[in-house]
Amino acid sequence: MTALLQVRGLTKKYLGLTAVNDVSYEVETGAIVGLIGPNGSGKSTSIDCISGFQPADGGQWLLDGNDLTGLAPHRIARAGLTRSFQTVRAYDELTLLENLLVAAQENDGIGWLPALLHTARVRAAEAAATARARDLLQTVGLADYADAPAAILSYGQRKLLAIAASMMSRPKLVVLDEPVAGVNPTMVRRIEAVIRKLNEEGVTLVIVEHNVDFIMNLCRRVVVLDQGIKIADGPPGLIRSDPRVLAAYLGKQGAEEATQRG
Amino acid sequence: MSARQLLLAVIAGLIALFAIPLLTDNDYVLALGISFAAMSVLAGGLNLIWGYTGLLSFAQVGFFGIGAYTAVLLVVDLGWSLWAGVAAGGVLCVVVGLLVGYSSLRLSRHAFAIVSLSFALLCAIIARDWPELTRGSMGIPGLPTPELKLPGLRWRIVDPADYYYLLMGFAAIAHGLIYLVVTSRLGRAMRAIKLNEPLAQSQGVNPLAYRLLALSLSALLSGIVGGFFVFYLTIIDPSIFDFYYTETMLISVVIGGPGSFWGVLLASAVMAVLPDLLRFTTDLRMVLYGVALIAAMILFPGGIGGWLYRRRVARWRRPQPRDPAKSTP
Repeated sequence: MTALLQVRGLTKKYLGLTAVNDVSYEVETGAIVGLIGPNGSGKSTSIDCISGFQPADGGQWLLDGNDLTGLAPHRIARAGLTRSFQTVRAYDELTLLENLLVAAQENDGIGWLPALLHTARVRAAEAAATARARDLLQTVGLADYADAPAAILSYGQRKLLAIAASMMSRPKLVVLDEPVAGVNPTMVRRIEAVIRKLNEEGVTLVIVEHNVDFIMNLCRRVVVLDQGIKIADGPPGLIRSDPRVLAAYLGKQGAEEATQRG
Repeated sequence: MSARQLLLAVIAGLIALFAIPLLTDNDYVLALGISFAAMSVLAGGLNLIWGYTGLLSFAQVGFFGIGAYTAVLLVVDLGWSLWAGVAAGGVLCVVVGLLVGYSSLRLSRHAFAIVSLSFALLCAIIARDWPELTRGSMGIPGLPTPELKLPGLRWRIVDPADYYYLLMGFAAIAHGLIYLVVTSRLGRAMRAIKLNEPLAQSQGVNPLAYRLLALSLSALLSGIVGGFFVFYLTIIDPSIFDFYYTETMLISVVIGGPGSFWGVLLASAVMAVLPDLLRFTTDLRMVLYGVALIAAMILFPGGIGGWLYRRRVARWRRPQPRDPAKSTP
């Protein structure tokens, strides 16, 4: 069986600096894969590339066998790869419900004219999307605020809304960029539970995080980047003791000390 | 207000507006109504492109003038009917609008603002300096009386009351169309693009497509209203591209609140009456406009629509008594 997401030789250069250097990895259907690495290791750049927000300088990536290389962000989203952003984004002036409805409306293949005329087909699609949006708001615990403008949400609640929004279109793969950065421990557990629940419902996820404990808890496979190069790829247990990973996070000397103690 | 109440209020408002020429033949009142109808369509078009999709456009007056010149030249030089001339003007505006939009939007929103401004200035220069086509700065005076000929109906559009019906009728259609767009899910996608473009893209929304849609529709409506309006003026000259129109549109949208359909409509009505209330100030009027615009931006950010939005946010932020058993963090 081929993997859901295949990234082959992804490369991104900024002037002289190679931010992502020939990185390849695969994500199996139904998995939660962690993408970790120290600051500046190319995590965010690599997902900006595969979601179309940054042009890649080399490489190829396929979702479910479809080549997404070089497509515009909205085309990649429609192909089934959605993402959240590190700087949490929401439509402040729209209600939570509208925030989620926007995230679904480009995926039902209904054109502008029927949308303008509110045809029966549009009403049915909107009703179905509204039902799904209410379900997702229930899942992330924001159902009480369905009709409130997103501007009233706290930082952690905005992260939950962003996760719900990235699920609205029933994507094949969701990339979450730092879903728990800067969030209090209670909210971290809540977000973890939401991610698990969505995964049980069949969503495949790639999670970029600095919070290593969070990743080790949640993922059965972890990809580690350092200075734009993939240095490890495997189950969390092996990653924890991999000398190259320890060296990347703790420096060479720290890694040696850690191994001696371990 | 429920949908039903809104519908009744709109019907009552339309009946009142259309009854005015029956109640009075005061030319001044009718002139105010005609000016409100024309300017409100321009402001509504600007609101659609700026208030909903987030593109500050100075090109609207260009569409207004191109629609006007096209209609006049087709009627005067080629003997077309007003209706065909106006329709052709509207279509030409859509084509021009798509060219302006497509060429600049591939760069950025800011590029669009600059290109749209250059476009409007260029229109005025062409109107003045291409006399073979436009008769130059002298313009074309004494435009012919238009006529509507349908089986069993012959309507000569002569009196201010006729123009009042013509322009108010078109304004009603134009605002109806804009309302349909902004309250449909197309309008929701447009607002999403304005509020957070990368997020919208990450959800499959194509910003360029929606912006070109908004731009085409606003160009079409502005062009058509320009065509009707010059026949009421009975003269066309390069002043149809005057910055005064842009300023009136901008003030209407700023005071009404970008992205607020009813707010902008209300502000257009105020802006139709205000110039005459301020007539005693003569040349000081434009200065007062500027002061009003700055004061509105400082004291009343987001206009009427912004004020309503802040009230909505405040209402949700107020602690609400709720069942502790189902409270959310």
